[in-house]
Amino acid sequence: MKVRRLMAVWTAKIISAACRLSGRQGVTLAGKIALKIDPGILRDLSSQVREKIFVVCGTNGKTTTNNLLCSAVESEGKKVICNHTGSNMLSGVAAAFVLSAGISGRLDADYACIEIDEASTLRIFPHFKPDYMILTNLFRDQLDRYGEIDLTMKILSQAMAMAPEMKLILNGDDALSAYLAMESKNDFVTYGITEQVFHDQDSREIREGRFCKKCGAKLEYEFYHYSQLGRYRCPSCGFERPPIEYDAKNISMEHGLSFEVEGRSFHADYRGFYNIYNILAAYAGAREAGFALSRFSQVLESFNPQNGRMEQFSIDGTKIILNLAKNPAGFNQNISAVMEDPSEKDLIIVINDNAQDGTDISWLWDVDFERFLDPSVKSVTVSGIRCQDMRLRMKYVDIPSTLVEDVEKAIKDRIQHGCGNLYVLVNYTALYSTRNILAGMQER
Amino acid sequence: MEIRIGHLYPDLLNLYGDRGNIQCMVKRCQWRGIEASVTEYQLEDPIDFSGLDIILLGGGSDREQAIVCEKLKTIREDFKAYVEDMGVVLAVCGGYQLLGHYYDTDQGRIEGLSLADLYTEQGSPRLISNIIIENEDFEMPFVGFENHGGRTYTGDLKPLGKVLFGCGNNGKDKKEGILYRNIVGTYLHGPLLPKNPHLCDYLLKNALMRKYGQAELSPLEDREEKEANLYIRKRFLERQ
Repeated sequence: MKVRRLMAVWTAKIISAACRLSGRQGVTLAGKIALKIDPGILRDLSSQVREKIFVVCGTNGKTTTNNLLCSAVESEGKKVICNHTGSNMLSGVAAAFVLSAGISGRLDADYACIEIDEASTLRIFPHFKPDYMILTNLFRDQLDRYGEIDLTMKILSQAMAMAPEMKLILNGDDALSAYLAMESKNDFVTYGITEQVFHDQDSREIREGRFCKKCGAKLEYEFYHYSQLGRYRCPSCGFERPPIEYDAKNISMEHGLSFEVEGRSFHADYRGFYNIYNILAAYAGAREAGFALSRFSQVLESFNPQNGRMEQFSIDGTKIILNLAKNPAGFNQNISAVMEDPSEKDLIIVINDNAQDGTDISWLWDVDFERFLDPSVKSVTVSGIRCQDMRLRMKYVDIPSTLVEDVEKAIKDRIQHGCGNLYVLVNYTALYSTRNILAGMQER
Repeated sequence: MEIRIGHLYPDLLNLYGDRGNIQCMVKRCQWRGIEASVTEYQLEDPIDFSGLDIILLGGGSDREQAIVCEKLKTIREDFKAYVEDMGVVLAVCGGYQLLGHYYDTDQGRIEGLSLADLYTEQGSPRLISNIIIENEDFEMPFVGFENHGGRTYTGDLKPLGKVLFGCGNNGKDKKEGILYRNIVGTYLHGPLLPKNPHLCDYLLKNALMRKYGQAELSPLEDREEKEANLYIRKRFLERQ
């Protein structure tokens, strides 16, 4: 058995290194092969984690939340295993453990922070039962893979039942997450935002789960933050937003993000209201595990959102921000973040339809692209496999766009002829390649 | 000239970019100087069918469809009169299933409107694919995306098209959708109309004909629309 594990660990390390040399992301492949050589490897290695295992689930914000949580736990002097790159299906999760193991095949870690694709929970939980699950939110995502959001909820509820000792840390502003937690037998705590932040409420935005999951009646909202997140109650059966344990107050978005929680003030230097939720989720998770988080401010300060989550590049005098946008809720939040920047800007939107993106791209029509109709938006370039669909989408909000299928070409053109401030919005499979292109150009 | 569009229950039936179908109809009216208005109906709203020229019934999850089905019973007679009077209807996915007599699911039967002689049975697996269909009466094939558990059987009704790629009504008889009176029922979303501007114009034309007795739609350039349509055909048909 021992030999088999060593074989698995070594092979995975070699594959991963070889892939990195050839510029490909080999994490998933490494995990897949390790599991093939030693099917018990994930169970073995995860049981060697000395203290607790966190998992992060939810439609949007998993990677940022998980990486932030990892930094927060590390700031407490702990050794943490984390699937930083966001490879979050069974092989990716296995790889995170296998690649962290020493050549002796043993693991040296106090904590694990693992993001998991919702649909993969049922395949991963037989290997280990987490101590905490952070549930960020549930939005419409990749319809053709999941069928419907009801199915995702069913899967998560089964996963929660598989790990009855696991404590849930969830976004109380999301009625769907709250419903799941209340219906489960798991212990749970909530984070959220009780004060109203946005005063112009757009009623057209697609909102998932506006109907009470318990009784089917239409939920009443005092206000929305975005999508279906807000302050809700059911007039018919009494289901309502649970009390919020970690409540962000005095929110300001003038210069980055500022807010208070538990009477402590925090500031982060990046944009996007949704990032308040990501920060809150990580904070709540670490606090629940008993950490004082006395250095959380420094964690936020030094945290550079990576992997194309508002990641910054600077190439030949052009400031470039790369951001992942893979579903309507995420894209609408992205548009808000871009438009929070009042200066002139060029946009590149890259849309692929590979299996991991969801081969159905109908969701593009549920995104409020008309908000890009603004004098500060100097140009829009559409790129990626489904650039034709994206160009058509822009046509129907009266925004002309330039079609450049090749992403690198599109970026080069905007660096040469653009206004010096470029936003690149990409969906999932376009992320890695686009990031490679940008990182390569920045190095040169 | 004015086209009045009624969007039925977008709160519940809005799964597959149905807003795109509305946007497409509205824009293609506006670009030609035809006024277009959209009324969204919630479950509790009364519907005056005499004030509508086009009705859109979109897709929802099975659960949401069951909620809508209860409501539909109360408007069935008015809806039927509208259809028999050549009122224009676009019904997509779940909305298409609701046009028929029933949809049998493992959770029980969802009663339909019986506006068209079709019925649906749940099947497995879900039929999920890009889809291309052809109808000789139209100058260009229709392209879209389908994602449905239901298998729909349409008897002698005229299909919207013959399946060239993808699954269609039930994955067996190579038929997709229906054309009945002025109803277009289909599993194609993606959404349907933007990449099939000729189908959008067909709906608009029928609505204008019914209302004004004449319908001259000035041609639009449609370069982006046609290229997006062609892209799908090239990618999936040339591979076969």
